[in-house]
Amino acid sequence: MLLLRLRVKFMMSIGCFQRNLCAASSPLVPVRPPSPMETHLWYILPDEVKSSKLLNRYFELLSPCEKEKVFRMHGDQLQQRTLLARTLVRTTIARYQTNSHVHPRSFKFKKNIYGKPEVEWQDLEDWHLPPLHFNLSHTSSLIACGVTVNSPIGIDVEEKQRKLRNNVLRFARRYFSPYEVELLAAISDPEYQRQEFIKLWTLKEAYVKALGRGFSAAPFKTFTIRFRAAMERAIHLSGHRDSEAFDIVVDSIDDPENLTNNWQFALLELASSHYAAICVEKDGTTGGKGTLPMKLTVRRTIPYLEDECVSGTAAVVAISGMT
Amino acid sequence: MASVSATSATFRVSLKPCFKNNQVTGGTSTTVKMARAGWAKNVFPTLRTSRFNVCCAAKPETVQKVCEIVKKQLALSDETELTPESKFAALGADSLDTVEIVMGLEEEFGISVEEESSQNITTVQEAADLIEKLVQKKPEA
Repeated sequence: MLLLRLRVKFMMSIGCFQRNLCAASSPLVPVRPPSPMETHLWYILPDEVKSSKLLNRYFELLSPCEKEKVFRMHGDQLQQRTLLARTLVRTTIARYQTNSHVHPRSFKFKKNIYGKPEVEWQDLEDWHLPPLHFNLSHTSSLIACGVTVNSPIGIDVEEKQRKLRNNVLRFARRYFSPYEVELLAAISDPEYQRQEFIKLWTLKEAYVKALGRGFSAAPFKTFTIRFRAAMERAIHLSGHRDSEAFDIVVDSIDDPENLTNNWQFALLELASSHYAAICVEKDGTTGGKGTLPMKLTVRRTIPYLEDECVSGTAAVVAISGMT
Repeated sequence: MASVSATSATFRVSLKPCFKNNQVTGGTSTTVKMARAGWAKNVFPTLRTSRFNVCCAAKPETVQKVCEIVKKQLALSDETELTPESKFAALGADSLDTVEIVMGLEEEFGISVEEESSQNITTVQEAADLIEKLVQKKPEA
């Protein structure tokens, strides 16, 4: 059903998209961009977006190429997921230009030489901010977009209940580092083991996506992600140290000289249903062995309908690495 | 991609009469596919043509097995129509699914896929091709 409706809309829109642009009823709520030390995380819950009128509106934001991509997905659910993912990244970035109105439709995306998607900033006339970095991740029930300024970012979300088809340890032995396998093998409860596996997976994915050089540049077996007891810190950003017992760090296995201490991680439970991992490149000032927790602001959104900052609520439960 | 050139060397020998030289396509994997299907002289090796060749090249039972494994991993119904060109991502596979599919293929065919290669498998056909290549290499190993 969705496919047919969208196809008709697509044909019509070629002639009349100008009209649709002007028909915006409720604008996007502008948001101050993240500061250099901050990370923003936005997410959509597809189950909350049922209005076909709204979906049609989102569809109009997409480039022809993105629209084609939506059609290539098999089935309504996957098509909606693709549509919402593109909508999320376009509307999110558009919000940050608070001085002048930049239409979400006006962004062009490209891939860097390694295939990582980014915005073509030079084509934008009304953009007066430093380039924003973004990264998307989605499951069937949640679509997330992380945003930073001046710092590469990678995110990954997985459903907490996700079951592997393969045996967890077999999978880990095949793809994870020896240290990680040992860690998982030491967990006797299969459910807890599975959960820790999923957390590790999201962290490893987030790291590789932050690196942005493709998976072949950092095969999962070549680096270890681990929880390290945090050093005493003189400065606490928020004044309390709830989740700060451990830092998350990454070590390169075959290249110990590799600068891996310039990556900062956060791991959290999102919307009670997902694990979310975020990896950003630290700026040089934090240096040394200590890691300040990631300053993360999380917002749930239905673009043009409602936005809700959920940081500090039950929708965001820090596991490690963040305030 | 050293394995690709090794394979193409083998094929070049066996199809010498029909196959002029690698310069037709600059020695890319397209060349390998052309040689494998036994096409020769008159057809210009466009990507579309070589894909058609590849369809005939990998054994149907290999493609079939790949489809089964993909359907199982992605929990697709039996009625779901998969073609060799079906993209895993378009079927809803994320990177964890892709890795699990590769593991399933390794088990089924008794092969070992390099991690770099496993992330590059995006369609049923690509999986089938890689399997055939690795299966053929097995006795030599």
